[in-house]
Amino acid sequence: MTTITSNRRTDAGSVRPAGPRKQARRSGDGLAGYLFLSPWLIGILLLTLGPMVTSLYLSFTDYDLFNSPQWVGLDNYQRMFDDARWLKSVRVTALYVALAVPIKLACALAVAVLLNNERRGRAFYRAAFYGPSLIGASVSLAIVWKAMFSDDAVVDRLLRTVGIHTGGWAGNPDFSLLMLVLLAAWQLGAPMVIFLAGLKQVPKELYEAAEVDGAGRWRRFRSITLPMISPVIFFNLLLETINSFQVFTSAYIVGGPNGQPAGTTLFYTIYLFDRGFGDYRMGYASAMAWMLLAGVGLVTLFLFRTARGWVYYSGDKR
Amino acid sequence: MRLLKRFIAVTAIASLALTGAACGDDGGDAAESGPVTLRYSWWGNADRAALMQKAIDLFQTQNPNIKITPSFQEYEAYWQKMATETAGNNAPDVFQMDFSYLREYSDRNALYDLKQQEGKALKLDDLLDGLKGAGQVKDGLYGVPVGANTWGYMYNPAVYAQAGIPEPKPGWTWNDYRATVAKITQATKGKVYGGGNYVGSYYNLELQLRQEGGLLYTEDGKIGFDKARLARFFNEGKALADAKATLPIEKGVQIKPQHALELDLIAGELGWDNFMARYAASTKAQLKLGPVPSDNPGAQGQYLKPAMLLSVSKKTKHAEAAAKLISFMINDPEVGKIFGANRGLPATNAQRAAVQLEGPLATVAAYEEGLKEQLTKAPPAPPKGAGTLEQTFIRIAEELQYGRISVDEAVNQFFTEVEDTLES
Repeated sequence: MTTITSNRRTDAGSVRPAGPRKQARRSGDGLAGYLFLSPWLIGILLLTLGPMVTSLYLSFTDYDLFNSPQWVGLDNYQRMFDDARWLKSVRVTALYVALAVPIKLACALAVAVLLNNERRGRAFYRAAFYGPSLIGASVSLAIVWKAMFSDDAVVDRLLRTVGIHTGGWAGNPDFSLLMLVLLAAWQLGAPMVIFLAGLKQVPKELYEAAEVDGAGRWRRFRSITLPMISPVIFFNLLLETINSFQVFTSAYIVGGPNGQPAGTTLFYTIYLFDRGFGDYRMGYASAMAWMLLAGVGLVTLFLFRTARGWVYYSGDKR
Repeated sequence: MRLLKRFIAVTAIASLALTGAACGDDGGDAAESGPVTLRYSWWGNADRAALMQKAIDLFQTQNPNIKITPSFQEYEAYWQKMATETAGNNAPDVFQMDFSYLREYSDRNALYDLKQQEGKALKLDDLLDGLKGAGQVKDGLYGVPVGANTWGYMYNPAVYAQAGIPEPKPGWTWNDYRATVAKITQATKGKVYGGGNYVGSYYNLELQLRQEGGLLYTEDGKIGFDKARLARFFNEGKALADAKATLPIEKGVQIKPQHALELDLIAGELGWDNFMARYAASTKAQLKLGPVPSDNPGAQGQYLKPAMLLSVSKKTKHAEAAAKLISFMINDPEVGKIFGANRGLPATNAQRAAVQLEGPLATVAAYEEGLKEQLTKAPPAPPKGAGTLEQTFIRIAEELQYGRISVDEAVNQFFTEVEDTLES
């Protein structure tokens, strides 16, 4: 018993002399490290984490920006389900995500496959297709887009030459959302570049073997390309889904705070902004923001669940 | 190596301390006797900013002890900024106020009561008769009008002539108005519509209510009409839209932010008369201002509305200097000359006399002068939430014209919002 304790003591004693010195060096390193981190650290604490915690608190209060917040418990969350405009904004956003994400990804993949071939001027085409994404969130772009889809503007005229009379989409409740979906699809640069990288990874031997076996182009695409790049598709799907839930700038320019025409572009983010900064109901707006986070989280979780069924990782034994 | 590390650590800490110091320097507080800096915010565009700078320069030469720091935004962004700044205890000393937000801010204790400066640094005795007392809420004075306007009928006489329809005369009724709108559209075969978004204008409803002896909001801040009255208004407007007599809503939505009168798409529209200047600037048509329709002869329902007010933040440390600035902005004849009708027609007699009005502005001034005897008392400042309700009204009327909701649904939706907004 005693020997053991004494042993331990000597052990501890033998370690001790080195301990403080080592620790001093470590903590010195740590200090410098934290100092170098400080711009980022201060940023995330003051500008991200702090506001997030505050907004979580505010979501349980009635807060009009002028008077101090009044605790109302879950009231804000309950009211959402009776709020017709909230439900409408959820529907609009869900419809948009359901349309914009697949269309944009399909376009991006198609362009990536075309650009994957060896041909002259490939670099130019890549730049040309990536271009629209660079000016992605710009206000001017949304204004031009709206102008293009007005009465007697480019799109209306083109459609009329093939006998389709829709009038301006910007003022037509049946087409206004589609107009924004097309805007998203046009900005396919980012997923396209990722798809291109994925396509480069597919081993050439697979195609050669398939060709020998007499598989056509479509067959090769379906049975080789798609499964081989499924992790990339999944990655793009996640990214685009999350991004699409947060669309704001273009929708605000096209539809304003009321989601014109007739509330068909009343996105969740637009309604949130309008409630908070237009009606000064910050508590309700904060609660909406947390509901959005929960909603996006659920959708992401769901996507991960389904991914097990269709995403193939090479080296996976399945 | 160690030296280098220490050097880096020290510089990092020093730079942090420096930024901290720079942040902390803001709250500098000059004594009342020394030079005073006032922050002054307004909504508007670059044109107005240029005029404002001229007026501010003039003020600063006359009051070398007061320095003005101006800032401006577009109308919607302006209110978002004001709300956040007020919430952050960082509101500007003097800022432009809209009638529909006056109660919102005064009820929330964000505004300084200017009664304390009245007759001293703030001279109000030259205000037009119809504007005296505007900006008053309960017993306090929370805003001073800078300009004023009146609801009127703006129209293009050339279209009337083309359609072979006589121009509107005093005594025309709302039925006459709707019939005229339909007739013009018919006569021009839809090239020019007889009217614009009649049902989407909250102030058309207000005008009708006032002609019937009512109000949009009662003195104690309740809604001044019932569901049946709103349903009647919506039904009449929807009939016009359904008959395609007024400008189709999808067109109106697409041309925003322009107005149909600017693009010669309609024969006439009811609206605030100071917009004449804006419309006239972009169309070749010689627009005119005419009488508003009324079913009740002798009750036109029009009033002189403070187009724009100036308020002082409760948190200001320089109330006297702020009052001086406001007094200068509304009374000084030079300022009147600088602005013309940019802020609406001036609110004081001295400035009105100083402004050399030409073209459409002269028309507006003559119109208001001619109405002088008929203008009735301005309504009490609308309750807080009025801005939200007006937006709601516009939105619902739009969905109604698109045929997305029925009149009953529209009425119910509006009153749900009323309960939600006026009682919270």
